[in-house]
Amino acid sequence: MQHPPAVAVRGLEKTYPGGTRAIDGIDFTVEQGEFFGFLGPNGAGKTTTIKILATLLPKSAGRVEVAGIDIDRDARGVRASIGVALQEVGLDDLSKGRDFLVLQGRLYGVGRAEANRRADELLELVGLSGVGKRKIGSYSGGMRRRIDLAGALMHEPGILFLDEPTSGLDPQSRLAIWEHLEQLNAQGVTVMLTTQHMDEADRLCRRLAIIDHGRLVTEGSPSALKAGVGGDVVRVSFGHMESPDGRTDAALGALRQLPAVREADTTPDGLTATVDDGGTAAPAILRALNDVEVPVANLAVTRPSLDDVFLHHTGREIREADADEDAESRVWGQWMGVNRR
Amino acid sequence: MLILRESSYIYVRNLKTWLAQPTMIVAAVFSSAVMYLFFGEPLRGITGLPGFPASDYQAFLTAMVIVMAVVFSGSDMAMVLLTDIMSGYVDKLLLSPVNRFSILLGTLAIGATRAIAQVVAIVLVATAIGVRFEGGIVGILAVIVATTLLGIAMGCVGLIIAVRTRSVQVTVNSWLLFMPLAFLTSAFMPRDLITGWFQFAVGLNPIEYILVAVRTIIIDGWIWEHIVPGFWVLLGTSAVLVAAATYEYRRATN
Repeated sequence: MQHPPAVAVRGLEKTYPGGTRAIDGIDFTVEQGEFFGFLGPNGAGKTTTIKILATLLPKSAGRVEVAGIDIDRDARGVRASIGVALQEVGLDDLSKGRDFLVLQGRLYGVGRAEANRRADELLELVGLSGVGKRKIGSYSGGMRRRIDLAGALMHEPGILFLDEPTSGLDPQSRLAIWEHLEQLNAQGVTVMLTTQHMDEADRLCRRLAIIDHGRLVTEGSPSALKAGVGGDVVRVSFGHMESPDGRTDAALGALRQLPAVREADTTPDGLTATVDDGGTAAPAILRALNDVEVPVANLAVTRPSLDDVFLHHTGREIREADADEDAESRVWGQWMGVNRR
Repeated sequence: MLILRESSYIYVRNLKTWLAQPTMIVAAVFSSAVMYLFFGEPLRGITGLPGFPASDYQAFLTAMVIVMAVVFSGSDMAMVLLTDIMSGYVDKLLLSPVNRFSILLGTLAIGATRAIAQVVAIVLVATAIGVRFEGGIVGILAVIVATTLLGIAMGCVGLIIAVRTRSVQVTVNSWLLFMPLAFLTSAFMPRDLITGWFQFAVGLNPIEYILVAVRTIIIDGWIWEHIVPGFWVLLGTSAVLVAAATYEYRRATN
């Protein structure tokens, strides 16, 4: 039996009233059971996309199917099949954690007894069992994200949309959320999240789309994206030599003979080589240098990061891209998301 | 009746939110007690004016205390709703598969509940200070029903303000809008004894007719010629405001 993709987006565009073009024609597909990431700086169009997929925001053009349902045809059907946790958390501070969960379940048509059972189960899962009877207003930032995530899971959705699920959290809370998400994905839940954190995308997502200025820049698995940027870099610094004249040239020549080495160059204290795979190239490099009797003091392999991927495709670092963004206009942009006039 | 069940979930949540803020409830009850204290006792001499329709000024004031409390609750409702919009909670509701109108109903129902709670509290205070309700028990029930409907109507005004402006600044100050509705009335002095532009303005204020009907039931009993206009005005105003709020709400959530 052929399953429809969890998300299928074709030619999606969004222009806000006032002319801001938040999404400029994007296509992507998320298969069922995937862990898919939308990576980009603030203001790239990530939140707008998630809000459109979740039926909270109308699109300007394009076609979107979620869980095999056209969002224009049956928005309620889409809403019933997905769980959503947005960046502006939208919690009810005066409500107790457990009451919030039960209500979430009820709103999605879960029966009373089942909603109560699920609430306890999920409080346990996200490590909030002890504070279920406390008002959400008294929760810390990490606890709020966790109760929100639990709320999105009350009706056991097959697809989960998360907008920056860990932004602003301390490392421990981030790790806890990551573990919950990995566990859910292992149980078959399709997860699509947005993030501006490279480490998060790298750890969680099996496939990534990089978005910048409302356009998809590139798409693929984190390792394929990194491999596309270029190979690993091996840096060698030489040890003490009695008569160093000509030795550097000999070493460079030896390295350039190696099939694993794509490029090699000298540095003030040694050599640098670009290779496909640092793990297998490093021993060969050491052997070649030994053969020409060049002592090695230090050898380091650096792999390209997703930062390099972003830099490679956009010409900017993601942090710089963030700095470009006017924080105020972003907040209002999101606000206008609900306030569609 | 899925829509009723869904509305009841939203309603219970709104009720819990309201009950979780006891200051709001205390303020609603105490403001009425303070009204009697400030205006009832010191101004009771007014009843001696020729043509004044009541001998007990506290009884005369009771209608004003009730109507004013309910009118100003519209401003509270606007703030409550705006808080939910700003916190993103409304989005959370809109993300769920519940019918849009369940959310609206659950919200307006809380306006009704607040009105009932306020009126009951005021009736108890009034009874405690010796006000006699000429309309009897049925009269008290009629007053409760009428002000409940007024509570819904004012909740609609609050909803329109919150949804339209989405501004804390405007919403916090929206009581200014309710002030003429509450004060351009014969609240303190019968209309016949008011003069000039004020009398003219009072004649244009729909709340005035509702106030007169409520007051008549309290101080005179069932004098239909004073009650019927208020009944129609209340019905008409509520219908228009519910329709307007539904329209605004639809526009904001589609």
